[in-house]
Amino acid sequence: MMDMSTKLATLWPEIMLTLVAFVVMVVGLSPQLWMRRATYGIAAFGLVIAAILAATGSPAATGDLAVYMKVAICLIGLALLVAAAEVPDESQTLVMGDQAFDPASTSRGEFFGFLLLSLVGAMLCAGADDLVWLFLALELTSLPTYVMVATSRKSIKAPEAAVKYFFLGAMAAAIFLYGFALLYGATGTTYISQMHAIFADPNQGISHLALAGLVLAIVGVCFKIAAVPMHFYAADVYQGAATPVTTFLAFVPKTAGFVTLIVLLNAATGWSIVDNTPAIATLLWILAVLTMFVGNTLALLQDNVKRVLAYSSIAHTGYMLVGLLAGAGPAASGGFLLRNGLAAILFYLIAYGVMNLGAFSVLGLLKRAGEEAETFDDLRGLAARRPALAAVMAICVLSLTGVPPLVGFWGKLYLFGSAISAGYVGLAILAMLNSAIAAFYYLRIVAVTYMSEPNDDVVVSPLPSRSGAAMVSAAAVIVMSLAAGPLVDASLHAAAGFQTQPHMPAAPRPVHSEPADHDSLEVSGVNGEALPAASASEASDAI
Amino acid sequence: MLNMAPWIPTLPFLSMFVCGAMFACKSQAIRNATAWVAAAAVAGSFLCSVMVVKGFVDAGSPAAGVTVPYFEWINIGDFHANFSFLIDGLTCVMLMVVTGIGTLITLYAAGYMSGDSGYGRFFAYISLFIFAMSCLVLGDNLLLLFLGWEGVGVASYLLIGFYYRKPSAVAAAKKAFIVNRIGDFGFALGLMGTFVLFGSIAYSDVIPAAHALDVSSLTGWRADLAWWIPFLLMMGAFGKSAQLPLHVWLPDAMEGPTPVSALIHAATMVTAGVYMIARLINVFNMNPTALAFIAAVGGMTALFAATIALCQYDLKRVWAYSTLSQLGYMFLGVGVMATTGAVFHLFTHAFFKALLFLTAGSVMHAMAGQLDLRKMSGLFSKMPVTAILMLMGCLALAGVPFTAGFYSKDIILTEALIKAPVLGWIGIFTALLTAFYTFRLWFRVFLGETKYEMGHEHHGYPVEHDLDDHAHGPHEMPWWPMNAPLVVLAIGAIAAGFACHGWMEGMIHNSTAAVASHGDAEHHHSVHTFVSIVAGGGALVMIALAALFHWKRRDLTEKIANAFSPVVTLLYNKYYIDECYNVLVRGVLNMIAWMSYIVDRVLVDGVLIDVVIGRTPRFVAHVGRMFQRGRLQGYGLTMGLGLAIVLFIMVWKVMAG
Repeated sequence: MMDMSTKLATLWPEIMLTLVAFVVMVVGLSPQLWMRRATYGIAAFGLVIAAILAATGSPAATGDLAVYMKVAICLIGLALLVAAAEVPDESQTLVMGDQAFDPASTSRGEFFGFLLLSLVGAMLCAGADDLVWLFLALELTSLPTYVMVATSRKSIKAPEAAVKYFFLGAMAAAIFLYGFALLYGATGTTYISQMHAIFADPNQGISHLALAGLVLAIVGVCFKIAAVPMHFYAADVYQGAATPVTTFLAFVPKTAGFVTLIVLLNAATGWSIVDNTPAIATLLWILAVLTMFVGNTLALLQDNVKRVLAYSSIAHTGYMLVGLLAGAGPAASGGFLLRNGLAAILFYLIAYGVMNLGAFSVLGLLKRAGEEAETFDDLRGLAARRPALAAVMAICVLSLTGVPPLVGFWGKLYLFGSAISAGYVGLAILAMLNSAIAAFYYLRIVAVTYMSEPNDDVVVSPLPSRSGAAMVSAAAVIVMSLAAGPLVDASLHAAAGFQTQPHMPAAPRPVHSEPADHDSLEVSGVNGEALPAASASEASDAI
Repeated sequence: MLNMAPWIPTLPFLSMFVCGAMFACKSQAIRNATAWVAAAAVAGSFLCSVMVVKGFVDAGSPAAGVTVPYFEWINIGDFHANFSFLIDGLTCVMLMVVTGIGTLITLYAAGYMSGDSGYGRFFAYISLFIFAMSCLVLGDNLLLLFLGWEGVGVASYLLIGFYYRKPSAVAAAKKAFIVNRIGDFGFALGLMGTFVLFGSIAYSDVIPAAHALDVSSLTGWRADLAWWIPFLLMMGAFGKSAQLPLHVWLPDAMEGPTPVSALIHAATMVTAGVYMIARLINVFNMNPTALAFIAAVGGMTALFAATIALCQYDLKRVWAYSTLSQLGYMFLGVGVMATTGAVFHLFTHAFFKALLFLTAGSVMHAMAGQLDLRKMSGLFSKMPVTAILMLMGCLALAGVPFTAGFYSKDIILTEALIKAPVLGWIGIFTALLTAFYTFRLWFRVFLGETKYEMGHEHHGYPVEHDLDDHAHGPHEMPWWPMNAPLVVLAIGAIAAGFACHGWMEGMIHNSTAAVASHGDAEHHHSVHTFVSIVAGGGALVMIALAALFHWKRRDLTEKIANAFSPVVTLLYNKYYIDECYNVLVRGVLNMIAWMSYIVDRVLVDGVLIDVVIGRTPRFVAHVGRMFQRGRLQGYGLTMGLGLAIVLFIMVWKVMAG
């Protein structure tokens, strides 16, 4: 392992953001309103700097995945910050009786501080090489969000949601911490690369104890990504939190969770999940299918758009689990997204983050009697009153549905295509069936905004930065739809470090009919054997 | 010179937008100027075409053609389709026809359409048509051909339905579009099949590969594909060129303004099928059965349409069936691999049929929309120029010796007699019928007692007679811009045969339509002489008969018609083909639709949608909702239960595995 100073050198973006978070919290206590308002700008500036630091950091030290995820988290985090923070005109506030969340005018410096700290946690997950680090990073992602939910709005719903979120989150943390403990007990190390070496060693392999640890860890992390069976909190918490916070919850913990799953499964299975850990393959298959179906069917009956988006967030987790099962594919370094489920997940996370941000931001702009507008009824006839916002909503929602040629379609194509490449045809069919079910409630949103008489009880808040965030995310959806190339390349590059490598060379390998696949398998096998050996020698140096 | 090629489609393309913008203006002067914009653009295209042809000849007329790149269009994986042009002999001939005849007809239309409320719209559509048609003939790959093919289809649809307030015009436009879809379906499949078989759709790859292909060496699906591709492409050609049984749209297409009938539905667009088969003759030759089929259908269409033309009373419909018949000749020509004859006939036919349609348009214009042969007679004294111009066209169509039609038709008939004697004799018989019905029309309209009944329309809309100068009786058309272009066409109708004979052979020889000469030249020559004498002499005899029956002794005609009244009724009603379609296609379709409706209602909507798709997710949702009661303890419990179930499954899986 690296020594302390080398490791710290890979963490400049996180260190930077943590410092900014403290500055924001301190400045947020200032008696002057202008200084409190400045916290928003300071936080945004910190995120820009962190993004630059992450992008220019050496990938050799941190790994391509970490660079990709850190940059993505900083940039989408910036957009989330812009969508969350707003200074409403005070006279407008009086007229509308706006009781909703407006952090800056009520000295919510700590809100931005917590937002930054949560982002730091997600970024740390991406660079984790140790179970303890991973646990702390995951908790750092979640703990600030409890506060964010609780303080996000004045309604009694917010503390209720926060309490539920906190207790269930603590339970989930206990579960995956127990899993991590079992993994440590089974392997005697917390270093992920050493664990990988032990699992890959044909003389040791994965013991039942380690398998139990892995199952507990996966189920625990399912809470972060809102997957079955740990999804129950999602609808209540998403509904109870203020809309900008909901947007945050739907992206940041989910990203951290998926990165954790990728890191853990890489160590344990080497992406020959079926060969190495058939039980895990079964588990993931069941979880993916249940998550998709639960998310989509529960969304069908909702009248509350926030709950619809919450359940749909569960369904999207299910789609991404499909990519996890498909794994790194036979030729991870070769550039084809339809064969690399991990790259497809990385692509989809970004796409989902942007689409979701657009949809939630539009929703967050609508107010009814001083409360947040949440139901289908509140969206009625938006197109007639605010055509631009309705268009943003339509673009984002259609993209979430997966209508070609929007980015949601490409994301699903890559995810399900990688599943088919990996032989999970049935799973891909179920996933597509779910996309069809999802069209029902997504199109209902579009239909209600475009085809109904306007609802005069609903007012659109004059929040330029939030509507700006909505516009930007719709524009980003279109750009990513038409020119997905760079993002595809980046996600492939980020996933290039993961390769399919059977643990036991003696065990019969999966038969590939195409010689090209066979060749790439051989190549990856060589790399795969070289990697653990190197890390093992480093480890002995460190010890 | 060759680098002028991109301007040929570009000028009309720009003109389309300019005309559209001008049409949107309020000023009447600007709206009236659209015709000159369009005419200038098409004439510019013609000049560019002349330069391109000169460039091609200067380059030594390479048989493989010259490729002129324009821009990269589609480039996905192995699939490449560029916007680049192949200039070879066939392209040159087609360019001359499309832009040359196009210019003349646009000029004529500038006069003919004047006063129409959709004047600017008309010329925007014409520009669109010339753009698409020049893409069609210039493209160096099948996809560009297809683009042009669909483009001319759209232009044709828009122009047939130009008088969109007239229900029959709208119906005819829809009919043309839908019937063409049937053919285009086959074309699209053929295009895909070509890509699958040859891995490319560029002519420069496909045609040599098809030529070199030994079909008997293919096995499995490749052999099937090689067998089917010609048939599939043929379907497209049959649709566009209105061959049996997809011919039904063309007679109805005469609902459009007459210049459209002349340009699109006689001279250029409908010959696209002939162009396609001639261009891809090597691909079609992969399956001799398909070629034989094309020849047989061509021959049958020629005969069938000529018999119908005998008994029609509508001026434009006679020419429409005559066009079908002449297209049949061209298909007979390509079917027996007489590509030179077919393309030559395409070329001469463009002149004389455009002329015939436009003169018919002049008559229609003069008679306020009257087209019924029974209601006009002896108009020679009223409009002598039109009469003489139409006479020239009639002579060429009838195949009177030394006119244009005589030369081109003879080449086709000679080849047909050698390769497929039955079809050759059908062709000769049809040639005799052609001479008869052509002069039946001319004698009836222009000679005999001067007697006529005015129509009630102007440009597709009924008019008040006292408000319209057309009510004053038939009158001659002005020389400019209407009769002058017709004179050029008339010269072509008479002279294009012997003047262009050698040029045509050279051009087709230097193109992908070239077919290796074969057979006994001596025999060939003697057959040619025989056909010339029989067809040429026969035409003169038939003209004399037509003069007897339709000029001197019209009472005799009625007696004969009464004696054979069932036959006449059958022919007048076009063999009841439309009615057959009505019963067979529409009846069957309605029945299928009805059964599908029942299946849809009961099985799909009732069982599948309502119960399986509709109720199941809802049921699952209701069950799932029971776990979403909003109570923290409940959530904790269910999560714990979930974890327990997962662990149970895992233990079971590990123990079992």
